[in-house]
Amino acid sequence: MPTLSRVLAATVLLLPCAGRVAQAEMGNGPTRSATVSMVRNFWALVSDVSALTHPQALSQASRAQAQPIPAAPPGGPSIDLSNISNTTAVERELERSLANKGSNLRLTVPRGSAWQGNYSLSSDESHPGDLLVVSGNADIAGKLLGNLVTVNGDVTVREGGLVSGDILTLGGTVHGDGEIGGEVRSFPSTSVLTPKSVATVAAPAASALQLTFGRIAGVIGVFLTLSALGFGLVMFGRPNLEVVSDTVAHSFGRAFITGLLGQILLLPTFGMLVVGLILSVAGILLLPFAVVVYTLLVIIAALGGYLAVAHAMGETYVRRRMALGAVIGSPNSYRYLLIGIAALASLWLAWAIFGWVPVAGDLIRGAAFLVTWLLGTAGFGAALLSRAGIRENFAGRLIPPEALTDEYLWATPQFGVPAARRPGTRTPTRGL
Amino acid sequence: MRGALFALALLPWAGMASAQSMRPFSTFRQQHGETRLRANLQYAAGVLRLSAGPAAELYRMDVSYDQDRFVPRSEYDAARGEVLLGVETAGRGGLRVVSQNQLRQIAHVSFSPDIDLALDVGLGAVDAELELGGLRLTDLNLETGASRAVIRFSQPNGARCRSAQFSAGAAELSVIGLGNSRCDRIDFQGGVGKVALDFGGSWTASSEVEVRMAMGELTLRLPRQVGVRISLDKFLSAFEPAGLVRRGDSFESPGYDRASRHLDIAVTTAVGQVRVEWEK
Repeated sequence: MPTLSRVLAATVLLLPCAGRVAQAEMGNGPTRSATVSMVRNFWALVSDVSALTHPQALSQASRAQAQPIPAAPPGGPSIDLSNISNTTAVERELERSLANKGSNLRLTVPRGSAWQGNYSLSSDESHPGDLLVVSGNADIAGKLLGNLVTVNGDVTVREGGLVSGDILTLGGTVHGDGEIGGEVRSFPSTSVLTPKSVATVAAPAASALQLTFGRIAGVIGVFLTLSALGFGLVMFGRPNLEVVSDTVAHSFGRAFITGLLGQILLLPTFGMLVVGLILSVAGILLLPFAVVVYTLLVIIAALGGYLAVAHAMGETYVRRRMALGAVIGSPNSYRYLLIGIAALASLWLAWAIFGWVPVAGDLIRGAAFLVTWLLGTAGFGAALLSRAGIRENFAGRLIPPEALTDEYLWATPQFGVPAARRPGTRTPTRGL
Repeated sequence: MRGALFALALLPWAGMASAQSMRPFSTFRQQHGETRLRANLQYAAGVLRLSAGPAAELYRMDVSYDQDRFVPRSEYDAARGEVLLGVETAGRGGLRVVSQNQLRQIAHVSFSPDIDLALDVGLGAVDAELELGGLRLTDLNLETGASRAVIRFSQPNGARCRSAQFSAGAAELSVIGLGNSRCDRIDFQGGVGKVALDFGGSWTASSEVEVRMAMGELTLRLPRQVGVRISLDKFLSAFEPAGLVRRGDSFESPGYDRASRHLDIAVTTAVGQVRVEWEK
């Protein structure tokens, strides 16, 4: 067996040399041509035998010796090379036609021919029509009356040689001093006939898993980012956050309507601001500053409002649990935010995990988007209503802050009326 | 477990890395006795270099482009003697603004110095250097978006140029050696940005220049060998007429009337500054 491998390896190594020798001998008279044909036939025989004994050598063997690619049956793959100016379309078509075909390759080139392996056209030869060369170089010393396309191969147009049309190389370059009547386009690299194009057919299962992990990582990333922003907001703007949060909780409908109107009027307001500044002449100098400030304010209102919604959700949940007698270690704004953001992220997490399911995935994504938009709109509206937490008019704070004692805030004591509430009554969601 | 978390954290980055793939592409056409060419060069993003090439090639473009977002264009219409070259967005749109990778897209374009060339250039977000000296320009039309562009006429234009039109959005644009351009008429229209027009070079004829700029800084670098007249229509702009003498509504260089060749510049600007410098 090792001996056989060595023979095959030597055969494969010698094949390109054989091709070169054959090319060098071409065009020197009929006697030489006959010799070249004999050498070609001999190496064709060797390559066929080696291909039979060792299938892996097939691709390299075919590269060394040009073999015509048989025309496809009617309805089979066909590629028209009469116009190759749209390189992307030609490459895509070739990728589709040549993928996974192996030795059973069939391809029709209308008004032309297709070859596999190193192709050469001697100076006394002429090729009418377009030419496709796959997995091999094209050596043109004669006259090619049409367009030339190579896949994974270089083109050499020798002095005295002619390519009357365009040349396109996919995975190759163009050399030589011959005449080229048309345009030369060359991509030194290509995805045609590479393992990538073959592997894409079998990839979906792996890519779906990768997609799911990617989405989960994305949700976790957004969760962590929002948590970090929220913690910063609690640390530096807690009173404002609490007022916006209370506005959402106490005036949700009003906040939502305000947020909706705010979204609708966002662009007109911006336009009026810009026009007003331009018309005021002096204000035109403030235009760049105003644009930046306006954009920042909108982002802060939207993001802060969304975080306030998360805060309100977390606070409601914690207070309900406390009202039911659960002992919460530290019921503070950090905990409220974390719980709220986790609740909001859970919707997107569900989409990340089950998004690949054909219909349900889209429904989950739609639901997650809708809920996020609803809450975001309410948060944005609450931020507008409360002037970013400055006004408490809609926050349900009817009693002065100094009067808000623990008795008021925790008006649902662990022992008392709620413990023996009447059947059918709701547990109050807030302490007031 | 820690390894799995680490791999999970790396996944988005892996996706991002795989999306960035540059692909080289070359195109050219041999010259077969053509005498003129109208070239339309559209370049959406990246770095662009343009210059005169070998005489045997009508045109050539070597580009390395972001194949996820852009496609190269190279279409020659032999009947009309026109070529469309460049790189345009592949439909997904948008620019890779997250890193410097966007600027890795680079193109070198050249044209034959033996043909009469009418050049239309459209630039998007581009860092461009166009060396037009040595070509035979008959018309020039340049439109830039958010670009930084330097256009040079280092050598005299091989042909007489009917007009050169520059249109810049939010751009930093320098045109150097306009005297070598041999253009009868030069129009510049700018939005916002910083523009320098250098009228140096060898003047062989008179020329008319019209500059309209909305907001920004305009620098006019003037030659001493021709008579220069600047007529200014400004709104909230500062103008320093260094070395110019006021005559009526315009400013003239000393000896304008006696000069054999004239450079008449009409400037319209809204907000900004117009500076005048003299060639040393």
